[in-house]
Amino acid sequence: MADSPEKRGWIGRIWNAIWTPAVMFSSGFLILAGFLAGILFWGGFHWTLELTNTEEFCTSCHTMETNLGEYRETIHYSNHSGVRAICSDCHVPHEWNHKIKAKIMAVKDVYHELAGTISTPEKYEEHRLSMASAVWKKMKASDSRECRNCHNFDYMDFTIQETRAASEHQRAIDNNMTCIDCHQGIAHSLPPDYLEEYQKVTEEVASESNGSLPQQIADGSEEIRSYLTTQAD
Amino acid sequence: MLEFLGTVGANIIGLPGILGLALGMMTRRIWLGAVMGGLVGIFETLVFAHWDFTKFGASDLLIAVVIGLCAGSLGSVIRIKGATV
Repeated sequence: MADSPEKRGWIGRIWNAIWTPAVMFSSGFLILAGFLAGILFWGGFHWTLELTNTEEFCTSCHTMETNLGEYRETIHYSNHSGVRAICSDCHVPHEWNHKIKAKIMAVKDVYHELAGTISTPEKYEEHRLSMASAVWKKMKASDSRECRNCHNFDYMDFTIQETRAASEHQRAIDNNMTCIDCHQGIAHSLPPDYLEEYQKVTEEVASESNGSLPQQIADGSEEIRSYLTTQAD
Repeated sequence: MLEFLGTVGANIIGLPGILGLALGMMTRRIWLGAVMGGLVGIFETLVFAHWDFTKFGASDLLIAVVIGLCAGSLGSVIRIKGATV
């Protein structure tokens, strides 16, 4: 036999109140109140989520100082057009489902900050290849989705690109390649032996997707990187 | 593991979780709520892959459908418990 309301604990009383029909509020009042509460909750949730997309938030951890320093030397930080891509533009997807997944997975960054996994330059260098590899794998698997938020082959006017850039982009289209195939190291320094690692990444992604993804790395990728670094200077 | 947790979390506060729950609350038949939630899971996966079947894995689809099924069932249970109509 159920306990009387007086004998229930506070959790039991709250549970009971939740499932007891409201007698003092009309349906219209409850619908409107629920609607307004929903807007406030969702607005607050989304606003908070956007705060975690700011550069200040991303680089507020000590372990992100190295990444920040490297990124500030690149064309994505400073360029002739005045357009800047911050951390979240490259590392956080725009679409809701992918964005939430990325945010949940980013909890690992907090863990590694607390654990001090990359807290010294030596430790950072030790993990550079594996960190880069993880990002390349995501980008390769998503067809460089985050790059394509700003860059799109369809919007490129090859006639005003440098001859080599136009030719490489045309080759990328012809061979169904993706941005990260050539532009690894576009925002952060490259680890030694990165090409071998990238080849492994492409093979891994291709095997996971039943070989439907291309496994190519552009010829002259070193030249592309040197060109982009020069542009940033 | 992290990939799995991320996918589960994204689906819970994505369409399968929220719309699945809402659709489930529209019926007292738990199986119907679950089916509607599961369909939302399929729909959501296809929408975010831009209707390209090569752009999502079987595990992504499976997780979305399972979350949709659970959310839809939960919605129906809430309807049974919390409404007299």
